[in-house]
Amino acid sequence: MYPSPFHLVRYGVLNAVADFKATYTWRSWSFGWLGRMLAQVLFFTGLGGMLDHPGAVRYLALGNALMTCVVDTMAVVATTSGERRAGTLSLLVASPADPMWVFAGRSLHWPVSGFATASVALFGLGPFFGVTWAAAQVPLVLLLIALTALGTYCVGLFLAVLVINVPRLRNVVSNCAYLAMMGFCGVQVPVDFWPRAVGAVVQAVPLTHTLRALRAVSDNRPAAEVFGPVVPAVLTAGCWLLAAVVIFRWLVAVPARGAGTLDLSY
Amino acid sequence: MEKYGPTRRGATKRPADGGARADAIVVEDLGRTFVDRRGRGAGEVTALSGISLRVAPGEVHGLLGPNGAGKTTLCKILTTTLEPTTGSARVLGLDVTRQSRAVRRSIGLVFGGDRGLYGRLSARENLWFWGAMYGLRRSELRARAELLLERVGLADRADARVDTFSRGMKQRLHLARGLVGDPRVVILDEPTMGMDPVAALDFRALVAELREEGRTVLLTTHDMAEAAAVCDRVSLIDRGRLLMTEDTDAVGRLLSRYERVVAHGVSAGLADRVGALAGVVAVRHEADRLEAETELPSATASVLAVLAGEGVHRVSTARPDLAEVYLHLVGRRGMAVT
Repeated sequence: MYPSPFHLVRYGVLNAVADFKATYTWRSWSFGWLGRMLAQVLFFTGLGGMLDHPGAVRYLALGNALMTCVVDTMAVVATTSGERRAGTLSLLVASPADPMWVFAGRSLHWPVSGFATASVALFGLGPFFGVTWAAAQVPLVLLLIALTALGTYCVGLFLAVLVINVPRLRNVVSNCAYLAMMGFCGVQVPVDFWPRAVGAVVQAVPLTHTLRALRAVSDNRPAAEVFGPVVPAVLTAGCWLLAAVVIFRWLVAVPARGAGTLDLSY
Repeated sequence: MEKYGPTRRGATKRPADGGARADAIVVEDLGRTFVDRRGRGAGEVTALSGISLRVAPGEVHGLLGPNGAGKTTLCKILTTTLEPTTGSARVLGLDVTRQSRAVRRSIGLVFGGDRGLYGRLSARENLWFWGAMYGLRRSELRARAELLLERVGLADRADARVDTFSRGMKQRLHLARGLVGDPRVVILDEPTMGMDPVAALDFRALVAELREEGRTVLLTTHDMAEAAAVCDRVSLIDRGRLLMTEDTDAVGRLLSRYERVVAHGVSAGLADRVGALAGVVAVRHEADRLEAETELPSATASVLAVLAGEGVHRVSTARPDLAEVYLHLVGRRGMAVT
């Protein structure tokens, strides 16, 4: 019997849990990672206070608080490239499993961490900048954070398979990706601030849509404005995941078998 | 002299019809070249050239050769992580190129060294993980992991993180990992690299158990003693070419013509006379010690007669072992990397 994607993701999570435990204790996560992310939100939101623009602080607080989960999820690029360094990539390719689903499971701690980080930022830090939530909005906000985390995780998986053969680029790529999202997807300035071509490109990023939905929730806009962006967010996330699967299978694994670049580790 | 199957240890022999359909591994005219990107201009490097090999079900087959001989390239092709340039390879009747996924379901791969495991997982979790890759479900997975941990002697360290293991312990876990999918064909690529001598002996016992279970084992090594101890047949490979495939004992017998004569109290002049005899292929003379290698039984007799005629009585002859076969066939390159 061949393992199903769900089965592979599930056992991939074994690695996710182990990696997270090895990376953080609850103290280092709370006072190290979370503290750093909250400081980032405070920094950018504080800059908004210097602007002579009503609503800038709320705008930046919402954007940067949600953005914190993207910083987490981009770490999937580094952990996926770790398969090659650990010598497990060739063994995965030599197994009946599709390694792509293992990759999808083995870094799931990052979107979970990102979900928690962004939740603390939005619910804990937000009120200091006028971002408050009614009880009825909380489930929607949590849903949008989760969607952002998983959507950008799919983007990260795509980038991870792109650089799996050049692991030295892993940090460059993940940093560039999240900086680009921070700059162009409506986190610091509205998307229409940028040229139309940029605005068109960022429609392919789930964050652009989930952030629009989050702002709609925060502004108590009609349901259509809240749920409208959810559809493209889900669709774009699915497309990134599909692209990652296709690229790994046909542009990484198959050529690697031909070229002999899958090392049996020594 | 050509025999098939693990005859030395009493397992199945090749059927009278040649057994082509029954062979666990069939390699036909297999070739693999790589583009050499080192230096200026792209050239081609031949890793394998025209390799043909058959391994019977239940056989433990050794693949011997120096570093760079092509052993790992052949393993990569059989494990579907590398495509051949020419020829074909089948495992349990499945083509490694066209039916690669089905092949992967049937094979277990173990390579040497201490990488290829998840260091942050425990030994038990590693086996759960790799078992899941082979489609094992929860209860089966857990039972199999316990069995294998016991079998490789890691049961008492099952919950320890693998990055706290010694290299030898990691290698034992590698073996367990290779077996977790219950493969019918096990490919062991330098599996004892890094093992201490006791663990290497345990490994030999484990290979014997695999044979008892009817699994086919392809073992690459350049440890002659290991190959002689565990293999039913061996293939010698060098510079990408298969030099010979023989029953392990028969290889030694084949080389009886390369018998070695060792004598003490031999002068330089006498050593020269011995070296000039027909059938003497090599002579080494240090102080008064002579070591002469012959390629014909009659030559050995001639050497002994000459030595006896000169009053040299401290003489012995040695039967060749697998290491000597190896050295004769691949030359004195030994472990040199090509």
